Amino acid sequence: MDIAATSPVPIRTKVIAQIVLGVVMVASWEAAAVWFIDPFWIGKPSAIAARLWTEFVDGDMIGHTGITLFHAVTGLVLSLVIGVPIGVLFALRPFVADTVEPYFLGFYSLPRVALAPLFILWFGIGSISKIMMAFSMVVFIVILNTHEGLRGVDRDLVDMLKSMRAKRLYMLRKVLLPSIVPWVFASVRIGVGLALVGAVIGELLGANRGLGWYVEHSAGRVDIIGVFSGLVVLAVLGMALNEVVKAIESRFTEGRY
Amino acid sequence: MKIAIDMDSGLLTGDGSTIVAAANPAERATAELSRVHMSFDGRMEILQDINFVLREGEFLSIVGPSGCGKSTILRLISNLLAPTRGDVKTFGPDGSAAHVGFMFQRDALLPWADVNTNIAVGLECAGVPKEKHAARIAELLTLLGLSEFGGYYPRALSGGMRQRVALGRLLAYDPDVMLMDEPFGALDAQTKILLGYELMRIWTTHRKSVVFVTHDIEEAIGLSDRIIVMSARPGRIKSEYHVNLPRPRDLRGVRKMPEFHQLSEKIWNDIVDRV
Repeated sequence: MDIAATSPVPIRTKVIAQIVLGVVMVASWEAAAVWFIDPFWIGKPSAIAARLWTEFVDGDMIGHTGITLFHAVTGLVLSLVIGVPIGVLFALRPFVADTVEPYFLGFYSLPRVALAPLFILWFGIGSISKIMMAFSMVVFIVILNTHEGLRGVDRDLVDMLKSMRAKRLYMLRKVLLPSIVPWVFASVRIGVGLALVGAVIGELLGANRGLGWYVEHSAGRVDIIGVFSGLVVLAVLGMALNEVVKAIESRFTEGRY
Repeated sequence: MKIAIDMDSGLLTGDGSTIVAAANPAERATAELSRVHMSFDGRMEILQDINFVLREGEFLSIVGPSGCGKSTILRLISNLLAPTRGDVKTFGPDGSAAHVGFMFQRDALLPWADVNTNIAVGLECAGVPKEKHAARIAELLTLLGLSEFGGYYPRALSGGMRQRVALGRLLAYDPDVMLMDEPFGALDAQTKILLGYELMRIWTTHRKSVVFVTHDIEEAIGLSDRIIVMSARPGRIKSEYHVNLPRPRDLRGVRKMPEFHQLSEKIWNDIVDRV
């Protein structure tokens, strides 16, 4: 999906530039921590790397990462499973969509962070409250994107099938659902980050494991290196998930949409 | 209004509001529009008193200025729209409503499905049993010169090839009436003529009823048995011409015939409203 026809950058050049940028950023951080600012405030990449090494090898960082990943991905998948059918319903039944819209947008505007204490009250401090947090962050976007995607379905395709007396279910399977695939992927791309945010917020407020808990726990002990270690893992996790989504998306859509 | 028969050029011109007999009135009707009026929102009048009968195996073109409701007529015949007043009927071989198939200016292929799957849509809608699909698809691809391209996605094909696939899907559905809404309108001049040849070749063997909408007068004369000329909004049938050029036609050859030019001139004058 190129917005303008700019000359494509070779993939190798792109990757090298990305690595260079990363190295420059980490090096500046390290330099700042050594010469300008007390690492108590901004951490220090070398110390963080050392901490991550011990935490991954001897500690339970893999466990924390796994549980956060589980919360985020489960919430994301759940919001697809529930959000896509609701989006389809909204598109097929405009009356339902119009009726629900103001309330829907009301819920959408609520800062979901504010719901976290409620979710912990309702669903406990186990995984369910975190999954629900991730879900509540993503589901609205899935619904809105699905709805929007279906409104943009090519009329000619629908008319073509209608003129051939295609059944409703056939229409759904052949035209409506395939045509929202790019929209669903778009919501997944946005949703990956949001699902992580949701999971971590849940873990920050009440949990005994997960990266959110790890960050909160470290902060409680004024362990800045620990806080930054948790944040680094979260950032890397977000980047990795994004790459996975991109790979899946191009597998499904390349040359077709 | 009088009906004049021009013996020299073998053309029949008639008053648009009367139903004029088709080239071969012995053939049964496959579609019939009687006293059809169409308006949107109860105000904007699109069509006014449209009457005509489409005969089996007839190639009928509708020409007229843009916005005259040509495409609306196709949508009425295909039952995508209902007329505000009047009757639109279609007749299949068994007397029930005809199966109609559409071809648009834009190919309307499923972009997420390869050529084979797109053609299979026609077969599936026609209820052709699954085990017969592969053979039928191969046959159609050969017919359209697309044998190598079954596994290609539409995006990888040229405009002309995509319209061939759309034609393949239409033939796969095997409708009683083929509705073509400027199917070659977006193609360059050469591709347009080449696809016209293809269409003629295929139509000559299948002899489906066709309603072909175009604003290209010469294309209409080359392809058709009969041409309906529409006036600008509200769309009315202004005149009707039978094209008695010999078949099979050489689409480029007929353009050199004097009859072709006479007819082209008359239709052009009708459209720009000159006498």
